[in-house]
Amino acid sequence: MARIEVNHLKYRYPHTENLALDGVSFQIEPGEFIGIIGKNGSGKSTLCQAFTGLIPNFYRGAYGGNVKIGEINVRDVEVDELCQKVGIVFQNPFNQITGSKLTVYDEIAFGLENLGLSRKEMIRRIDDALEQLDITRFRDRNPFDLSGGQMQRMAIASIIAMNPEIIILDEPTSQLDPQGSEEVFKAVQRLSQKGITIIMVEHKMEKIAAYSDRVMLLDEGKMIDFDTPQKIFSRDDLLEHGVLPPAFTRIGRGLDRKNAATGEYPVTLKEAKEALEGMAV
Amino acid sequence: MKSISLYEEKNSTLNHLDSGCKMLYMVAAILVPALIGNKWANVAVIILSVFLLAISKVLRKTVPVLSVSGIVILTIVIIQGMFRAGNTTVVLQLGPAAFYKEGLLYSLGIALNVFNILLAICVLIFTTKPSDMVENFIEKGFSPRLGYVFISIFQIIPQMMETMNTITDAQRSRGMETEGSLLVRIKAFLPLISPVVMSSLVDTKERAIALEVRGFNAKTKKTFLNERKVTTTDKIINLLLIAAVLASVAWRVKLWLG
Amino acid sequence: MKKKLYNSPWSLEFNTAALVLIPAAVGINYLGKLFAGVLKLPLWMDSIGTCLAACLAGPVVGAICGAINNIIYGLTMSPISMVYAFSQAGIGIVVGLMAYYGRMNKIGGAVATGILAGLAAVSISTPLNIAFWGGTTGNLWGDAVYALSLAKDLPVWLASLLDEIVVDLPDKIVTVIIVMGMYRGMPKSLQSLYQSNGKIESLD
Repeated sequence: MARIEVNHLKYRYPHTENLALDGVSFQIEPGEFIGIIGKNGSGKSTLCQAFTGLIPNFYRGAYGGNVKIGEINVRDVEVDELCQKVGIVFQNPFNQITGSKLTVYDEIAFGLENLGLSRKEMIRRIDDALEQLDITRFRDRNPFDLSGGQMQRMAIASIIAMNPEIIILDEPTSQLDPQGSEEVFKAVQRLSQKGITIIMVEHKMEKIAAYSDRVMLLDEGKMIDFDTPQKIFSRDDLLEHGVLPPAFTRIGRGLDRKNAATGEYPVTLKEAKEALEGMAV
Repeated sequence: MKSISLYEEKNSTLNHLDSGCKMLYMVAAILVPALIGNKWANVAVIILSVFLLAISKVLRKTVPVLSVSGIVILTIVIIQGMFRAGNTTVVLQLGPAAFYKEGLLYSLGIALNVFNILLAICVLIFTTKPSDMVENFIEKGFSPRLGYVFISIFQIIPQMMETMNTITDAQRSRGMETEGSLLVRIKAFLPLISPVVMSSLVDTKERAIALEVRGFNAKTKKTFLNERKVTTTDKIINLLLIAAVLASVAWRVKLWLG
Repeated sequence: MKKKLYNSPWSLEFNTAALVLIPAAVGINYLGKLFAGVLKLPLWMDSIGTCLAACLAGPVVGAICGAINNIIYGLTMSPISMVYAFSQAGIGIVVGLMAYYGRMNKIGGAVATGILAGLAAVSISTPLNIAFWGGTTGNLWGDAVYALSLAKDLPVWLASLLDEIVVDLPDKIVTVIIVMGMYRGMPKSLQSLYQSNGKIESLD
């Protein structure tokens, strides 16, 4: 399994003045669930695309430092070589449909056909991906006739079928209704339990807090902090960085109830309950 | 979702025939009468195409296609019948308008030719899934990237039509006039088309990325999920069609030499 | 990897964005035609996408858009329009070249481009019209000119040429002017998306 190593990563989009990423360095271990938070324009999406080689190979622009996936330096390989190691899912499920396939089943096959897999292997992987994302019953539907949540799960299935070790999710639920979001989060959690490295950008802080092993806080292209959700959400300057902590943390903070052992505010329902127990009514 | 493709799954004999076979039929049906250079050859092939369309249960679908060209052909008959240089023999006098035999025969030739080509194309496109045709080409060495372009158009245009309906409704509800003088209508054109143009250009970025991360530019040889089966029947039909084309080439050469 | 600052106008290598631009351009052509129909404009307006693609991604992509556009019309509406793929490709090449040489930034350049594109279409379509239809275009005004010319004993090729000029030239001029307006108003980042050989600067 591949470890991710980012060293002094800098990037500027073509025809722009400011750096979108400004000297970011960190490591991610195989199998971790990483949440990335920060206000709009803080560099979250840019960082996501830097893992896949889209930055700089698709966008061009100006680039410094490096991103290493295992032994591979992202800068030196084409996007299509890397896509078997790193998969990415975007926020708009609609624009991720290739538009060249008439059924969900064929749509998932698109990437596998490009990789030149045998028919037998394709069928095995597609059946497996449909199963994992719980969309087997839609296999013969037209991709454009699915609901948003179903479409997004198909997009994830299309990526999963390519067997990546790392999956990047860039605000996968921001255009979905609550039910669709929940379906997607459940699917992502299952993938994480299978040992795939997950990197997710998400505005729903409760979800980030509940799923992430570590959370990265970005602001203006710089990495402010990268630590456990409890540590990150207990920071006093979160609002200055444009992030509203989870409701449970805000309650804990408002009532001044910290976890006795760690001295951190609660971030999930369970932790909030523990912190509040013992409070005199 | 509404499809713009003229193809219809009817489970007919021609549906099951290999796409390569039907493409060859189209080429042969256009080439053979052109090479023989005789109106009756055109008529014969037209009858054959009509027969094929009828057994595929898609003959009715040819009516709109033919009527589009039918209007053009009607103007040709009128204009050539009345004005063609070399018109001498009057066959029909309608008030001041005189129709001449030479011009009418000339336009009949055009009509037969056009209908023959149209019907031959119809045999192919009414009975063959566009993606089958493109995949067939890709297997023979056509660029898979351009192949993608062809297939995706059939899905993208209906998508854009939906966007267009939304926009037209929105602009109408804002009181935009789509009727009135020419100037008013020209002014209405830009606000209608600009938003779709911009949004579809922005979409190209996301779609290009979505394709790239799924190995669109991979250098390995592409494989296909759906197997293409070329049966013995397909092979025999192909041979017969090639023989027909070769025979008519031979006929043409013999005419030239003799 | 090759690194050039600019694409050659004749480069046959194009990136994925330029490729995806083709179906979008064909769609835009389709909508232009549809809107012109809804508004009963006396123009075709069916090459806006082709011209736009030619400006953004160059003459080769423009030509491919034009050709594919008519092949798709042929497969979906009237098969005979396939033969005019050549005229549409000609339009794409002319507009792409003019944009490459910077003529699509001013109204004067746009008018010149429109005239050249129209002439390209006319010179390719006229022989096709004569071969397939005996010289008419199927457009009311154009064919009236054709009939009038024949009545005045002009030769068929000239009558057909006049017919085609009436039908194509005004349409192409208006189309190219509209396209220029859209092209100039586009953000730089969108324009550079379709140029495949942009250099990656180093920040190390």
